[in-house]
Amino acid sequence: MEPKGKILLVDDDQDFLEMHKAVLKNHGYEVITATNGREGLERVRAEMPDLIILDLMMEKHDAGFSFTKQIKTDPLFKAIPILMVTSVAEATGYRFSLQEDGYWMKTDDFLDKPVMPEVLVGRVEKLLAEKRG
Amino acid sequence: MTLETSANILVVDDEMGIREACKRALAVEGYAVDTAEDGNQGLQKIKGKAYDLILMDLMMPGIGGLDLIKKTNDLDPEIIVVVITGYATIETAVEATKRGAYDYLPKPFTPETLTALVKRGLDKRELRLEAQRLHHEREQRLLELAGEKSRIRTIIGCMGDGVLVINLERRLVLWNASAVKMLKLAGTDECGASLDRYVKNSSLIESVENILASREGAVSMVSRELEIEEPKSVLMASLAPVRDEHGDLLGAVAVLRDITKLKEIDKIKSQFVSMVAHELRAPLAAIEGWLDVVISGETGGDKDLERRWLQRAKERSASLLAMVSDLLEINKIEAGKVAQKMEPVRLDQIVRRTVDFLRPEADRRKISFAIDLADDLPPVPADLRDMEKLFTNLISNAVKYNVDNGSVTVSGSVDENYVGIHIRDTGIGIAAEDLPRIFEDFFRVESKDTSQISGTGLGLTIAKKIVDSHFGRIEVESQPNRGSTFSVYLPYLKPKRTGVKAES
Repeated sequence: MEPKGKILLVDDDQDFLEMHKAVLKNHGYEVITATNGREGLERVRAEMPDLIILDLMMEKHDAGFSFTKQIKTDPLFKAIPILMVTSVAEATGYRFSLQEDGYWMKTDDFLDKPVMPEVLVGRVEKLLAEKRG
Repeated sequence: MTLETSANILVVDDEMGIREACKRALAVEGYAVDTAEDGNQGLQKIKGKAYDLILMDLMMPGIGGLDLIKKTNDLDPEIIVVVITGYATIETAVEATKRGAYDYLPKPFTPETLTALVKRGLDKRELRLEAQRLHHEREQRLLELAGEKSRIRTIIGCMGDGVLVINLERRLVLWNASAVKMLKLAGTDECGASLDRYVKNSSLIESVENILASREGAVSMVSRELEIEEPKSVLMASLAPVRDEHGDLLGAVAVLRDITKLKEIDKIKSQFVSMVAHELRAPLAAIEGWLDVVISGETGGDKDLERRWLQRAKERSASLLAMVSDLLEINKIEAGKVAQKMEPVRLDQIVRRTVDFLRPEADRRKISFAIDLADDLPPVPADLRDMEKLFTNLISNAVKYNVDNGSVTVSGSVDENYVGIHIRDTGIGIAAEDLPRIFEDFFRVESKDTSQISGTGLGLTIAKKIVDSHFGRIEVESQPNRGSTFSVYLPYLKPKRTGVKAES
């Protein structure tokens, strides 16, 4: 069966990488992974994913921001939806700082960890459907 | 001596008849009466006893009456002098009263005239004494008041908190050195300088205005934090109105406390809490995530996969448990800074026990131990459990961050004040930019070498806190891919001074 899309997971927590990968694969997606922003950018360039699921709080605390900024300011990649997930309890705070920075508007959705499998799959399908128009 | 019971009266007269007549008449009235037959004798008696009233003849041999009046007044200005004179002329009477006599009694006189005059004189004496006592009392009060004022000034001057008193005209009327220092009130030398000339902090001025504008019984006390630019600090200002006994507003008093340090501690504490919350939430989220995927049936009934995922949840929960234990450990060290149970501890024994405990794990990765510790290392005063925890953390790190087939060497050193224990590994080492941060709470070197090594990020925090609480120090040298050496220096017991015997 043809995969429903290629998804890049960027997360420095091995557990979330594996669990999200398992869930998405179960639901027919091809999944590639990266454990930091730099590696994530390499995978984006090399594999052109359909969607990115990004952990906001990778290693250095601003890594998620700079990753988003680079994707969303690159004409080649800016159409790729980014679904942000975070394991920190500061979702609200980060939402605000993202808005201030102008990049919250450009990330496409925002979820707190842990994400229920059906919620994760639901958001991914929704974002991909929007992207397809 | 009280006048009510018996007044002391002296009769000075060269005529014995007069002396005896006076004595008799006055003794009947209950007065204690002495007599003297001339001025000299009279003066001697006055010097030797406190008399209330003196009856004296003006014309006597030796010291004359007028002289005696003066000398008596010099001794006690409140003594009542009544002049007895045969020359009852206006001139002598005027002269005598000028010299300080109270009244005069012309000869001849009746006992009734005498006692009436003496009684009047003694009443006068009582009034004079009362006036004198009141005067003294007032003097004493003024003195006390002055002392109290200067005492209060001294106390206010010595206070660590700053004090400012401002009157209704917005003038500084009282302040102390601490206030000058806290607000940098340059040149406050004169009383009554206007407030805004010296105090530049607008919120303090605003608070003073609020107090001064308060209606009777309205604002009783205001506290607010002031951010001071120079010197950079945070002050807690407590302001209150100053009122007189009728409740009328006289001004405002401000007490300033430097809370810069408290604010810093507060900030560190809340940062720590927020950091702990993040660190606890990450593993909890992972545990719940794994449980979610199992419960949602993402395993598709694969029992083996289900077991593996649950195993992952269990591993995260084990690390969470370790982190909570470490946090409790930190809390214990900080709370028990003073209350540790100090006893002479032989570090070589602790190191050997710790190595034995860690040997199975080291053997699995073919890591060897070398212990190079002299048996005669002086014991250190320490908490035994703390020492076990300290060397367990350091030596297990040396194993954890080592390479397979590596080695861990523990050696000792002694200098004038410290026993040093050096733990050297042949592991992955620490990059120079990470070295300053390794003792920070939750800091872990993030690299592909460390990603598979579990840890709470609190092991070295605990080690440092233990060493600090034992007045020692911990140092680290490291080269990436070559290994690290952690050195712990602890002050040891000097046998001569403490008399503690080394354990066998």
